[in-house]
Parts: sequence; structure tokens; C-alpha cells
Amino acid sequence: MSDPAVAIGGVSKRFGRTLALDNVGFDVRRNELFALLGPNGAGKTTLGHILCTILKPDSGSARINGIDVVKNPRAGRQSLGVVFQEPTLDDRLTLYENLNFHGLIYGVPAAQRRSRIDHMLELVELTDWREHLVRTLSSGMKRRLEIARAFVHDAQILFLDEPTVGMDAQSRDRLWGYVRRLRQERELTVIVTTHYIEEVEGADRVCIIDRGRILANDPPAALKLRHGQELLRVVPSEEAAAIDILSAYPDQSIRNDAEILLKSSGDAFTETFLARHGGRLRKFVVEKPSLESVFLSLTGRELRDQAAGARERTFAFGKRGGEHTR
Amino acid sequence: MSTTATTGAGTIMPQLAGLYAIWLREVKRAIRDRGQLIGGVSRPLLWVLIMGIGLNPYFRGEIYGEVRFVVPFTYLQFIFPAVIVLNIMYTSVQSAVSTIWDREFGFLREILVSPLSRTTILLGKVLGGATVALFHGCLVLALARFADITFSLTDLLLGLTLMFLLAFGLTSLGVVIANRVQGFEGFGVFSNAVILPLYFTSSSIFPLDPSLTSAQSKTVYPEWLVTLVEINPLTYAVDALRGAFIHFHQFDPKLGPIVLVVMAVAFFLIALRDFNKL
Repeated sequence: MSDPAVAIGGVSKRFGRTLALDNVGFDVRRNELFALLGPNGAGKTTLGHILCTILKPDSGSARINGIDVVKNPRAGRQSLGVVFQEPTLDDRLTLYENLNFHGLIYGVPAAQRRSRIDHMLELVELTDWREHLVRTLSSGMKRRLEIARAFVHDAQILFLDEPTVGMDAQSRDRLWGYVRRLRQERELTVIVTTHYIEEVEGADRVCIIDRGRILANDPPAALKLRHGQELLRVVPSEEAAAIDILSAYPDQSIRNDAEILLKSSGDAFTETFLARHGGRLRKFVVEKPSLESVFLSLTGRELRDQAAGARERTFAFGKRGGEHTR
Repeated sequence: MSTTATTGAGTIMPQLAGLYAIWLREVKRAIRDRGQLIGGVSRPLLWVLIMGIGLNPYFRGEIYGEVRFVVPFTYLQFIFPAVIVLNIMYTSVQSAVSTIWDREFGFLREILVSPLSRTTILLGKVLGGATVALFHGCLVLALARFADITFSLTDLLLGLTLMFLLAFGLTSLGVVIANRVQGFEGFGVFSNAVILPLYFTSSSIFPLDPSLTSAQSKTVYPEWLVTLVEINPLTYAVDALRGAFIHFHQFDPKLGPIVLVVMAVAFFLIALRDFNKL
């Protein structure tokens, strides 16, 4: 029982000229909600794919429940439930048939299969849709069904790859509600990749990853304490003021369109800043340390920008040589 | 850990359950696909009732002033086994093409991260496709009486076995092709680039007179055509089915079944090799 649920050791993976993962290593303890946080292209999905054995690392080891999944992929998969970024349901089968298919390919005996399918459909509130074809579901419902599916074979480790991308706030809360309920019901280790910072506040541990490297790996509170910084978020009233501010604090400021972010070292700093530039601001906000500021201080950029536009994603896609994210 | 013990204990049963699941999925999807079913019914009707009956009177030659059939059968009887092959070919390739869909739309991943071996996954897929194709072959058999074809139960069983072998081989071939195709270009491409050329050069719609040697055939038909027909493995599949249903062979009777078995095994192994690289 002393084995950690997941142990990643010195994993590197290279796609052509890009080093997607650079000597990444961490342990995930049993029963932990472990969040991998990072912008798009940071290497989160690659790491996930190595864990669920669709990708082999160039070097390093990945263990699930003490089983080396690089050497013995099929044994590792048994205890792992995966929800991929894109839906992987069969549109032409009903909800029940999709879940039953999953139970069969994981070798779940018939009686258990039936009771688990009923229970899981109940939990994600899809019982009424049981006999409908999956193609008639909304994308949020498909996500819920996929989470239900991962537990038809009684997964002890759940890997969620960007589970809430493209969901509205309500569906997101609902989804996290299901995960919380599942964690109350059973021993469950959850690994989630995300670039929504507000989602990882509730995690036991947050691993910040950028450009294939781990920058921090701590509980959220510890991260805030160690790396978190008070931020000043200001909008100058005119361009000249913006230039003045940026030149006055060259190492502490980041410009983001009209907004300027300043790393503050405390109240004294704020007072001096206001005395000098206070008259030329349209907006002024003091932000207490948050995971967002942790991320900013660790990577020197804002997470949200990276999570943005389709254009950037297309661009990144092209840079990777047009290959699909693996 | 306890999980290792349970996965290690019974490895055969879970694989069989998985095989059944994948097979069942293929069959269910095919039943729900109306378009495929319409094709499976209309194709034999067109080929047997329109083309077959239409060309029936012209399938005769005059030798020494006496009118007789080039081969001792009517044209309808002659092309009937070939239409079975055609229907099986369409359906096999069509279900294999669904692997492209699975790959593009992610369902393949769901299967690949399961504890099933790649061999089980592929076998389930091919068996499922072959089952559906065999069923579509049987749709042609339902037209047997319109083509004046009667066969005994033994003939039927032999025929079904050969049809299944053919369906298995062609579905595997379809998977091999699908693995090499980058995007989904539409089924029409497969139909025009794979199915119809193979069909037309399989001695399906015109006979190579069995009383003539290969060299003599080449004086009746252009040499390249005879060569194409002779190197096309489907020629021997058609020949095997003709043996079963109308007791007529253009080639050595043993050749057909051998080619069918070799095709099934070889294409499956190639597909498996590709699949393991995925």
C-alpha cells in the first residue's frame, strides 16, 4: 500500500525539434486531487497520454499502482479511468450501449456491469436518457457520460484531460460536483489537467508546468505563500502615463493591452506608487495573492492569455508541424 | 497489489468479452445504418435483375451453325456468384473504412486505452465487418430463384464458408488501406479506386473460356487484360463461389479456396502489423 497512486520519474518526450517534456517527475499520493496547471502546449496532454499508454516516453518511467506502464501497458490500464479532451463516445450507440461496451472491454462481470451502469447514470443525472442515441446529447452531457463511463470498470485513478473546456460556468460546477461526490463515495485519486486557474483552488496539490518543465509542485496554500505576490492591476488614463509607469518599474511590470500589472512588495510600495501615478489612473485594483499571481510570478506571463483564441491554437498547431496533439 | 493479481489471473475471458463487445458494436452500427442496407439490397437487384436479365440473350455464340452458350450456363447464372462477391466487397470495405471514422473522432482511443490486446481489437473489428458482409452476401442469395440457380444444403454450407473467408480477407484488406489513408475522403474514392477495378478484372462479368489455354485466351482478349484477370486474387474467389453455387470452374477447383485462405491470413497479418504500430 506504500506505493503512490502514480509515480512519474524523469520522463522526457521529444516531437521533432520540440522538447514536449523535459525530465518531468512527480508522485501523486492515493486519494489526492492532483492538478496539472499550465498553458496550452505546456506538455500536460503529452504527459497524460504517456500515463494512459498511448504514447511512449523517450526516457523515464511512469508507474500506476506500482505497475510500470511503459513496460507493461495493459496491466496499468485496468485501474485507470480516462476522460480525454475530445469526446470518445460512439455517437450511433445509446448511452447504455456505450457504457456496456466499456464494461465489456474492461472485463467487468455482467451483474456488476448492470448495477454500476445504473448507479453511474444516476449519479451524473442521465438516467432518463439511457436509451437515447449519444448523438442526441449536448456536449456537456457527453462529458458527464464519459465521467460515468470511467467508473463502470471501477477506476481507482481518474485522469481528466481539460474536462471543462468549452463548458459554461453552470455545467462546470456540476461536473466538479460529481467528482466531489465520487471522491466521497470511494478511494479515488484524480489527476486533472487544466488551464482554468479557479478550478485548481480546490486541489490537494497543484503542479505548475510550462514548456515541458515543472516549475512548482505544492498545495495551493503553500504555493501562494511561497510564490504568490500582491499585484496591482491598473489602467492608466493616457498612453504617456502608461509609458511612465512601465519605465519607472521595468522589472516589475507587464503590459496587457490597456492594463498594466505590477508586482507589489506590500503596502508601502502601493502608497509610493499611488503618490507618484495615482492622479493618472482610470482603474486601480489591489489583488491579494492568488494562484494566478503564482503562475505569473513563476512563468512571467498570464495564464489566461495563453488559454485564449482559436487563432493562437491554429498557429501553435502549425508550429507543431500540423500534427494532432498527442 | 491486488489489481495486478486480478488482471493476471484470467486473461482469456476478458479478452473474449472485449472481442464480443467490438463485434457487437460493428453489427449494431451496420443495422442502424440505413444507407448501407439500401445499398446492400439495391446493388444485387440492379446487377441480377437489370444487367443479368438484360444481357442474358447475348451470352451465346454460334459454333458450326449451332447456337449455344459460351459457357454451359445462362449469363444470369454466370454472374450470380460474382454479384455475391461484389456485395461482400462493398460491405467489407465500407465497414473497414469506419476505422478511419473511429480514428478521426476519437472512439479508437477509448478502445486503445482499455486492457484489450491489439490483436483482440483488430480481430473483433474484422469479424464484425465480415459478419455484416456475409449478411449482405446472403441478400444476393435470396435472388437465386430469379437466376435459375438451385443448390443443395451442402453447396450452401460450402458457399457460406467461402463467402465468410472472402469477407474476412476483404475487411482486413480494407483496414490495411484505411490505416494508410490520412483523412477521410468519402467512400466514393474507395469504391472507384479499389472495389470496382478489382471487380471488373475478376472474370466476374465475362468468362475466360476454360477450354482455352492461357496463351489461347490472349488471342481472344488483349494480353494485358488476361494478365490482369489472372493476377487478380478475386478471380479465384469468384471461381470458388461459382464452384459452390453452379458447379463451374474456369481454373483448378482447389485454387479458389487456397487463395481465399491465403488472402484472409495475409491481409489480417498485415493489418495487425500496422495496427500494432498505431
